[in-house]
Amino acid sequence: MNRLLASACLLPLLAGPVLAQSLTVAVQADVRSINPGVNRDDGTDDFALQMVEGLVGYDEGGTPQPLLAEKVALSADGKTYTFTLRKGVKFHNGAELSSADVLWSWNRYMDAKTEWRCTSDFDGRSGLKVESVEAPDAQTIVMKLDKPNALFLDSLARTDCAMTAILHKDSVKPDGTFDKPIGTGPYKFGEWKRSEYFTMTAFEGYASPKTDGKADGYVGSKRPLLKEVKFLVVKDPATVKAGLTSGALDLSEILPSDVAEIRKLPTLEVVTAATAVRQVLLIQTRDAVMGNQKLRQAIAAALDMDEVVAAASDNLGQTNTSPIHPGSSYFGAVEKQGHKFDPARAKKLLAEAGYKGEKVVILANKRPRVPSFPAAVVVQSMLQAAGINADIEVLDWATQLDRYNKGNYQMQSFSFSARFDPALAFEQFAGPKDKQPRKVWDNPQAQEKIERLMSLSDRAERQKLVDELHKAVIDEVPLIFMFNGVDAIAHSKRITGFKPWQSKLRMWEVTAAK
Amino acid sequence: MKLPPLNALIGGGLIGTLVIVASIGALWTPYDPLRLSFRYKLAPPSPMYWLGTDEFGRDVLSRLMAGAATSVWISILTVTLAVVLGTLIGVFSGYVRGWVDRVIMAFNDALLAFPGILLALGLLAVVGANKYGIILALGIAYTPSVARVVRGTVLSLREKEFISASRVMGNSEAFTMARHILPNCIAPLTVLATSMFGYVLLAESALSFLGLGVPPPAPTWGNMLAGSRPYIGQAVWLGIFPGLCISLTLLGINLLGDAVRDKLDPRMRGTR
Amino acid sequence: MLRFALTRVAMALPTLLIVAVSVFVLIRLIPGDPASLMLGDLATPASIADLRARLGLDQSLFVQFGIWFGNLLKGDLGISINTQEPILPLILSRFWISAQIVLIAVFCASLVAVPAGVIAAWKQDSGLDLGLVTVATLLLSIPTFWLGLLLLLFFGLKLGWLPVVGYVSIGDDPWRGVLYLVMPILTLFLHEIGVLLRMARASTLEVLRLDYVTHARAKGLSEMAVLWRHAFKNAFGPTWTLIGLVLGNLLGGIAVVETVFTIPGLGRLLVDAIFARDYPVIQGCMLFVAFTYVLVNVVIDLCYPIFDPRVTAE
Repeated sequence: MNRLLASACLLPLLAGPVLAQSLTVAVQADVRSINPGVNRDDGTDDFALQMVEGLVGYDEGGTPQPLLAEKVALSADGKTYTFTLRKGVKFHNGAELSSADVLWSWNRYMDAKTEWRCTSDFDGRSGLKVESVEAPDAQTIVMKLDKPNALFLDSLARTDCAMTAILHKDSVKPDGTFDKPIGTGPYKFGEWKRSEYFTMTAFEGYASPKTDGKADGYVGSKRPLLKEVKFLVVKDPATVKAGLTSGALDLSEILPSDVAEIRKLPTLEVVTAATAVRQVLLIQTRDAVMGNQKLRQAIAAALDMDEVVAAASDNLGQTNTSPIHPGSSYFGAVEKQGHKFDPARAKKLLAEAGYKGEKVVILANKRPRVPSFPAAVVVQSMLQAAGINADIEVLDWATQLDRYNKGNYQMQSFSFSARFDPALAFEQFAGPKDKQPRKVWDNPQAQEKIERLMSLSDRAERQKLVDELHKAVIDEVPLIFMFNGVDAIAHSKRITGFKPWQSKLRMWEVTAAK
Repeated sequence: MKLPPLNALIGGGLIGTLVIVASIGALWTPYDPLRLSFRYKLAPPSPMYWLGTDEFGRDVLSRLMAGAATSVWISILTVTLAVVLGTLIGVFSGYVRGWVDRVIMAFNDALLAFPGILLALGLLAVVGANKYGIILALGIAYTPSVARVVRGTVLSLREKEFISASRVMGNSEAFTMARHILPNCIAPLTVLATSMFGYVLLAESALSFLGLGVPPPAPTWGNMLAGSRPYIGQAVWLGIFPGLCISLTLLGINLLGDAVRDKLDPRMRGTR
Repeated sequence: MLRFALTRVAMALPTLLIVAVSVFVLIRLIPGDPASLMLGDLATPASIADLRARLGLDQSLFVQFGIWFGNLLKGDLGISINTQEPILPLILSRFWISAQIVLIAVFCASLVAVPAGVIAAWKQDSGLDLGLVTVATLLLSIPTFWLGLLLLLFFGLKLGWLPVVGYVSIGDDPWRGVLYLVMPILTLFLHEIGVLLRMARASTLEVLRLDYVTHARAKGLSEMAVLWRHAFKNAFGPTWTLIGLVLGNLLGGIAVVETVFTIPGLGRLLVDAIFARDYPVIQGCMLFVAFTYVLVNVVIDLCYPIFDPRVTAE
């Protein structure tokens, strides 16, 4: 009897791939489009990147690695990149990938009519310029830049550019409008019912870069082991929780505040991981009150950051006062040193600053999955305890973003999207305020260092620059980095192999029991 | 001396309690309602925290007491604004009729057709997301409903004998309006105003739920209720107590409203 | 009668024009910009300017309004900034979903609430009256997002009778479609009972005090007959007006229920569009809601003489 049971249990395991299961995953918003890198947001990128791939993609640590390319060679003058394509890669329609497809995709992206998000990042308008792209043979692509650029491969791999994905030309209808993504990714596009759900199915002909079963960012082992994945749009986190509990949903991001509760449920498992998103307190250094560096330093010293982080992330986050995310290889001993909680120093600085109880308003928004408001509440209470007259004003996200872009605020509880390369991580907030009011840190010397960081490729020299920039940010306090984003994903216990990474729900190498 | 009716007794009791709690809350609370305490996050009701603590470890009782004053004040001002404006417009429009009525009603309908949330967002952006912004936004949002209901009542009253009689007797239009029509609007208005009182208490929490959150710096029952929702499974007291406060206040206002109406209604004079 | 109807409809045109202009201006007064929202915190000023130009947002307000209004007269509401979908079909499909929820909920609620209100008024100041008023007040004072969640936890999770997330159109699968609509309708239904019961009670109280009711009683008619023939019929007028108001308001206010139950309705479309500053969608939705609202109220006004013979349709 026991043996019978045992073999009955084993049977589905042995027949694994044949009996691949379907999953229902909740997402908080509908995709904007299915046109990779064109009309997009983070969720749209996530869906697209299950179906399409580029020449290079990020690995787990955010470094670009060959994906559709087998190898990438850089010429001695640092201007010519030669990509050798992997053999045997097929598109969803069965056609084999060749350099002609890369050329076609590149030309499509460079055409203004495509409205690709990243066109200006490659045509010289933002510094980097690709002068020519050629295909000497079916497996080779040669790209020439006008001058050396350390960030070229990183830019190609950017997720908001949809990894500069290589599409088959049948993705576009004869009249030039986009039809559906025919890519080389592990999953094929299924159907899309606007504001309700979107689906994808396993691509049987997928050629995984590796097959060792280890997920590694967008490279590594990427076998599609599920039959179909349905992404259901569920806005209300409480409804998500109910759906997970009832079994109607198999996997979803959950609120940090729900983690402890859901962990207790027998059918569900919770996994968490830090992301490269950075929760920050922006400070407007041009404000009459906040322009006082001593006051800003006092604020930094008045914050018991570990408490702030614990409260705002429900004990899931880790304090990190550096612009560099802890998963980065540039996050070293220097970056670990940051602001220190020191009430006595805060008091002293406050007196030196000549602060006389002027009001300091912190802007925050109440989007449920962003810790802007809880962080602001804790910061406000700590600043008040230190004798700073802090107040919170809650705005809707569009208004807050508008104030950010115009530089119209004293302080904001804000999130910076993931930027993997340290040069980009600094560039994100540093720059001249006269030209770009959204910039937070206006320091010409720092600007020079960031420019150098962008063109340098020597690892040791870059680290030195990163360390200097980090120290300057901590000393000048143009903004205060608090902690990194935390992905909290709950999934049914029948699912194995799911790994949260940078808020992306990678469905490859994920299997599900019946 | 006869005993007042049941609704006046219960309603009066509830509102009396509310006023006392709100007055105390404005002066003193057991703990600082804004003070965080990380050690006591989401603590259930206990001798130390009678009604438990919220997700930041703030004392729920203290916040309810502090919130009472703010919530009640916002509601009273909003309802007063809407009723005064709406009645003026409604009586005037319903009484004069003709093209003036039509023009007024065209504007009224336009305003009425605006979903409150858009109006609130727009006005809050202009006035600023503070107490007075909420009052102005919601007050203007509720004005057209009052105007419409009052106008409806006026329309049906116009046809009644005592109005014609007043006119036949040579009374001026304004006198007829003030003496005969206005008092007759009190009954439907009391009902509307008391419902509105509840809407205002709740509107803020609905805005908060939809992500529009317009909380004044101090806690209000509405934003406490909205904020409690994610914790329904772990800390049910967070929602129950502000919810109960809103319910009991509404009940009190409604019952008292009925009693007041009975007293004020001209046709009820002398019957009790 | 027909002339009155036509006048009312003609009167609605200025109302709609007022709505069109004020929505157009109001949403542009609100801070925030669709282009910068779409591009997020990584956007450079250049890319925002590019996108604004592509969306036509760099033109003057007058030009923008002219283009939009011109298309509107041709029956074209434009396309969504966010999703590039044509707006009119989008609104119609969403409206159908919201309308079935609202209409069923309000219809059922008036079936229960109006008789209950009449009875409460008839037994004024009794224990029954107090009980009904208390229940109505409690229903009124529970926010729909709380009530909805409680129903969801009870019927969806505890009993497992009804689906918790998702939506299936009745057209695709009638039986499952109905299952998905039960909880949203129930939520609104319970809430509206509170609103309508109190109104019906108040209207009936009014009527019960009038002379002709006293006369009818004096004539020796049974209480039931008085209640039905005189009180109920006359009390229905003002309640009917209120139902019109409720219907109009609900179309805007149903967003909360739709968010809780993941229903892709008109309310959520509007709220999402407001947060995304999707100007053409906001304008289209608002105009559509205003149009429906005016239509509902014309019908209500036309029906008013049927319930209250003393008011004649001009």
